[in-house]
Amino acid sequence: MKRKTLVVLAVAMIAAAQQWQPALPGYSYEFPRDYFNHPEYQTEWWYYTGNLRAADGHRFGFELTFFRQAVHLPPAAAAAEDVVWRPDELYLAHLALSDIDGGNFYHVERLNRAGPGLAGISLEQRRYWNGNWQVQWNSLASGDQKLQAVCDRFKLVLNLKPEKPPVIHGRNGISRKGAAPGEASHYISFTRIAAEGHLDRNGKSAAVTGLAWMDHEFFTESAAGKVAGWDWFAIQLDNREELMLYRLRNDTGAETPYSSGTYVDAQGKARFLEAGQFSLTPGETWHSPRSGARYPVAWTISVPSLGLQLSERTALKDQELFTERSISPTYWEGAVTYQGQIHDQKVNGVGYLEMTGYRNAIRVSGHTPR
Amino acid sequence: MSFEWLLFLRLILRPLAREPIRTALAIFAVALGVSAVVAIDLAGQAAAGSFHSSLESLAGNSDLQITAPGGLDERLLGKLVQLPYAFQFAPRIESFAFINGKGEAVPFIGLDLIGHAAQREFATDTSAQQANLLSEGYPIWVGQQLHLRAGERVPLLINDTLRTFIVAGILKPEKEKVVERVIVADIGLAQEVTGKLGKLDSIDVRTPQGKPAVDWRTILGSTLPASVSIDPQGARTQEYRKMLAAFRLNLRALSYIALIVGAFLIYNTISISVVRRRNEIGVLRALGGTRRMILGGFLAEALFLAVAGSSAGLLIGRFLAVGAVKLIGNTVQSLYVSSQPAPIHLTLAATITGLGLGLGVSLLAALAPALEASRIAPVEAMARGREEYSLALRSRSVSLWALLLVAVAAILCKLPAVRGRPVFAYIAVVLLIAATAAIIPSAVYLLAGTTHHVLQKLLGMEAMLALRALRGSIGRTSVLTAALATAVAMTTSVGIMVGSFRETVRVWMNHQLQADLYLRPAGSPGADRHPTMDPEIADRIERLPGVAAVDRFRAYRISYDGLPATLAGGESSRVRDSDATTFLPGEDRDAILSKLPTGDYAVVSEPFANEHNVHAGSILQIPLAGAVRRFRVLGIYYDYAAGGGYIILDRRTLLKYLPDPAESNVAVYLKRGVEAGAVRRGIGRVIGGRAVMVFSNGALRRGALQVFDRTFRITYALEAVAVIVAVMGIAGALLAMVIDRRREFALLRFLGASQLQVRGIILCEAGLLGLLANAIGLILGAILSLILIFVINKQSFGWTIQFHWPAALLLTALTGIYAATVLAGLYPARTAVRMNPIEMIHEA
Amino acid sequence: MALLEVKNVTKVYHAGSAPVLALREISLDLDSGDFVALAGKSGCGKSTLLNLCGAMDFPTSGEVILGGQVTSNLTDAGLTRLRREKVGFIFQSFQLIHTLTAVENVELPLLLAHRSGARAIAAERLRRVEMKEYAHRFPHQLSGGQQQRVAIARALAGNPSLLLADEPTGNLDSATGDTVLTLLRRTAHEFGVAVLTATHSTESAAMFDRIVRMRDGRIAEAAVLL
Repeated sequence: MKRKTLVVLAVAMIAAAQQWQPALPGYSYEFPRDYFNHPEYQTEWWYYTGNLRAADGHRFGFELTFFRQAVHLPPAAAAAEDVVWRPDELYLAHLALSDIDGGNFYHVERLNRAGPGLAGISLEQRRYWNGNWQVQWNSLASGDQKLQAVCDRFKLVLNLKPEKPPVIHGRNGISRKGAAPGEASHYISFTRIAAEGHLDRNGKSAAVTGLAWMDHEFFTESAAGKVAGWDWFAIQLDNREELMLYRLRNDTGAETPYSSGTYVDAQGKARFLEAGQFSLTPGETWHSPRSGARYPVAWTISVPSLGLQLSERTALKDQELFTERSISPTYWEGAVTYQGQIHDQKVNGVGYLEMTGYRNAIRVSGHTPR
Repeated sequence: MSFEWLLFLRLILRPLAREPIRTALAIFAVALGVSAVVAIDLAGQAAAGSFHSSLESLAGNSDLQITAPGGLDERLLGKLVQLPYAFQFAPRIESFAFINGKGEAVPFIGLDLIGHAAQREFATDTSAQQANLLSEGYPIWVGQQLHLRAGERVPLLINDTLRTFIVAGILKPEKEKVVERVIVADIGLAQEVTGKLGKLDSIDVRTPQGKPAVDWRTILGSTLPASVSIDPQGARTQEYRKMLAAFRLNLRALSYIALIVGAFLIYNTISISVVRRRNEIGVLRALGGTRRMILGGFLAEALFLAVAGSSAGLLIGRFLAVGAVKLIGNTVQSLYVSSQPAPIHLTLAATITGLGLGLGVSLLAALAPALEASRIAPVEAMARGREEYSLALRSRSVSLWALLLVAVAAILCKLPAVRGRPVFAYIAVVLLIAATAAIIPSAVYLLAGTTHHVLQKLLGMEAMLALRALRGSIGRTSVLTAALATAVAMTTSVGIMVGSFRETVRVWMNHQLQADLYLRPAGSPGADRHPTMDPEIADRIERLPGVAAVDRFRAYRISYDGLPATLAGGESSRVRDSDATTFLPGEDRDAILSKLPTGDYAVVSEPFANEHNVHAGSILQIPLAGAVRRFRVLGIYYDYAAGGGYIILDRRTLLKYLPDPAESNVAVYLKRGVEAGAVRRGIGRVIGGRAVMVFSNGALRRGALQVFDRTFRITYALEAVAVIVAVMGIAGALLAMVIDRRREFALLRFLGASQLQVRGIILCEAGLLGLLANAIGLILGAILSLILIFVINKQSFGWTIQFHWPAALLLTALTGIYAATVLAGLYPARTAVRMNPIEMIHEA
Repeated sequence: MALLEVKNVTKVYHAGSAPVLALREISLDLDSGDFVALAGKSGCGKSTLLNLCGAMDFPTSGEVILGGQVTSNLTDAGLTRLRREKVGFIFQSFQLIHTLTAVENVELPLLLAHRSGARAIAAERLRRVEMKEYAHRFPHQLSGGQQQRVAIARALAGNPSLLLADEPTGNLDSATGDTVLTLLRRTAHEFGVAVLTATHSTESAAMFDRIVRMRDGRIAEAAVLL
């Protein structure tokens, strides 16, 4: 204990010398405060994904992500405190719509700074927004939110009602990504959110319902991090249980021991799963004609302690977010389905799969991830 | 077919070829006339037609633009981006900077370089790098035309402060819309260095597809306060183009004068042609040629000269346009709007206009003599001895026609402008020229009759012979006189107008500029630029010992009713005390200036009143600070400042709605008996390191007159062209005359005339022609100047100009033209002298 | 010494490529009061010889001596003076200036010579040729014969010692032509002017003191008639 405290203090002193704080164990979470902004941490995101179905059975997937990235400013510029257009906090947002049954995928990116109200995260106003993409918290107690996003091709409006309390991933309040202190993040999720609303496209408005998932992470990127990419699974089973699993890969493509996951039972109780307790096996790959990356779009998932064996599939292979001139890396994020068994019972599920770091894989050695 | 072609070759082309110099002169005369028209057309289009207001640099693909006088509150943008429609908004700061504090103003545009709208327009680095650079001092991106390197440190003067910026990158001109001469900075930085923190000059909007533009304007309007305007993209440029329309028309009209002079010369050339070929015409008719053939033949000659001249004129005009663009561009920049001329394009339209005018005018001019030629009866043509082409001088009816034309012209001058263009007045000018041309033969007779004794006494027998010769060939004499007189009239009338204008402005400045010292930010001034100074400067100067009073003045560029205007605020009490500002007759100056500060009142300049049909008592509706405000006009004052009308409020009224206290300029009144030098030193200390210029009263006036003179250079150039055309025509005509009268000159040599005497006769003829043309041109010019001053200028620009004879200028110009005319006789005189009398005398 | 001496004069023209021999070794003398005809077909060189005599042109070889001066040696100023004071010309086509009246035409050479009292002298000359009533008429208002008389008056304006007439009757009918020739003879005999007339008509031969026939640039025959 004593040693741990010393380590913590040492790390705290180092962090204080830098501009931002690392994610350290022992963080005391407070809600609703921690639903919103943490400017002491350099990077933060609020990630909404979900599977929707229209009245006629047409299936969609959506993603709306708000990123906040703080940028290092030299002291001279940092001193200009109240300039509205300060470029030291950038607000990036991604919006994507998977038209699963229609077979197409559309995504848009936005970059703004706070400016005179262009983008922001505000506890006072109870909302996150970037231009006219926003999530408004109608009730801080129940977590009811309204999501709205408008782009040139569609408009999405959803009323979101979390059906379970928020889950804090990892151990001791941090979700580890690596060995060194600070190679971690504070990671909160709403794993089951009922979504209903409408999707307006091509002059027509379609009522949609479905299940959504919200991730909120905040951390400061550590210089020591050697993570080249990861594969992340959000699994929502039809027995009202959920899993979150992620597999970190280093630059040789091998899995690191800091991969982990969370199992949430039907009552909302969360259990931490460490790397050895589950396996994620990639299967068939899809080759992106745009970026040249090869993404495994079929996976086999097994968590023996839960009697879980699932196979993941996707009906829309191209759900890659790739932009020529973008500060974001290229990644695959798409709506997927699961089939298999848990606790020796047959089960089906929906969810989202995110795969990053595959574009660089094609670079030198032709090394493919396991 | 080939018979006609053969005739054309032998009877028309060959004689032209045999007199290469005369033919060349005729062609060149047409070429110059056409070149003037083409040059002005092209240059006018580039500098005053296709230009883009510098404020609209880098406008991109937006459809609409949101602006407000005095700027927009930037929080409006925050509201707009959250509208649930797929708009794209791009905020802008628009200002000007001077590189190293010198030279021409460069547009300085602030854009949200991080926002997604910016990322589409020009390629630079990725946003992350931009985010880094944006914090590293003052980075800017510059257009290629500024010839700066990435990483270079550049001092820029904006308003009254010189700061050093770093060139972060060069803008790539990937789309044509990128204006090369521009500086771009991130919007926060731009706000800071232009003193517009919290404000935006405009927000560009790209509307989503689906609904028509009108509906989007309604949607946007519902979110915005009433003082904000939503206009289609490019509206401001359109306003300036409208304002410049009258200016362009005036230039065009001037350029046509050169062509009119050319028309006279074509008339003359063809007439001479007809006279010489009388025998051939007769023979041709006797051999069975038709009237149509004769007509066609001479028209063909005119056509040949016209085609050669017009084609050459096109090329020369395109070449001259380069220089003309500079001159016109100068005028546009000084008087109207900061802009960059578009590149010169010899468009199909301009080519057709130039060729068409050249051909049309020439054919029209040749029509009368060609018709006359076709009516010659064969017998008559073959008779010997009757060489002269006698103009049918039915003097009584001709004089009556002339009088009628003058009357019609007088009526036309009373008519109002058509859409701001004084079209009727121009027609009146043409009619007066025609009337003058009609009465010239009578004038020649009169002059010859009354002066020949005097002349003979003064200049001897050469003058007598010259006079007799002129009167004997009255047709040619009249046409030449008309040509030169038109050029002289043009020079005189424009000279009088400019001289009167200058004098009016000079007198006005005497009244208007009563202060001892004037301050404004450094950098060359422009009509649509209003850089500001730190308000502390005026406050501290006011407290200096020796300073009696300070008049603070602030100007904003606004749009009023679809045209650019300036909204300004000054301190009425100072103006009242100092006797500056003259109001229109009948208005009580003291009452107006006392009432001005007491409420929402305004005074407007005379051009503004003219343009927008405003008079004392009218209400002006100006959107300011969230609502449309109403100002009652108390009076109209004389103003010769450039670039659109002025609306002046009392400074307190202006600050009520636009509270920024910075000044555009400051006038300083010294106490009586105080030494200016000491006060100036004190002012210098107050100014400190800021880039503010101090002018003495005298220096300011001189500077203003210099700008004035510079803006009229283009008109002087056009006048010169007209005069050159006329003088060349005279040279050509005298040459023809010498050749036609070669037997006569040979005889004189037989009779004992020396070479000097022969030369003297010809120079006398040139001199008499010149004298006559100058006299008639002067009178016509004086009359035309009245139209220019009291009708054309008033209708185009709204200024009241007091008539004034610029005696020195006129004397110089007329003497110069006279000398040129006499010199034009030198070459023909030389030709006459060099002819061998023997050969001449024995030609049958 | 004769008033006019033509000594062995040859004149060659260069018209185009081939040289033209207009006069071949002509010699001729004239004294005051002589009324001499140069007869021959057109192209025989009469006009050329007249021009040489009047110092309007110069011989290729040989000399023309007028009033003791060799014409070829004269400067332009000297030639001008010669024409103003010593020589008068009359042409077949009259060559009056049509924008001047008769008296103005006659006084023209006097004005050119800057002589005072030109108008009075001109009037007198017109009287001499019996054209005084027509003093203020323009040439196109006069008949051919009248115009030629005015031309003679003009030629005599400066009191020349030599009068050169180039086919003066060519454009006139025979009656009028005789009148003109009579006038010329009177000028020669009464006023002592040497008159050299080029003519192609043989009818009026009897009027002359001497006839010099020319052919192909040479003098064919010089007959003296008394």
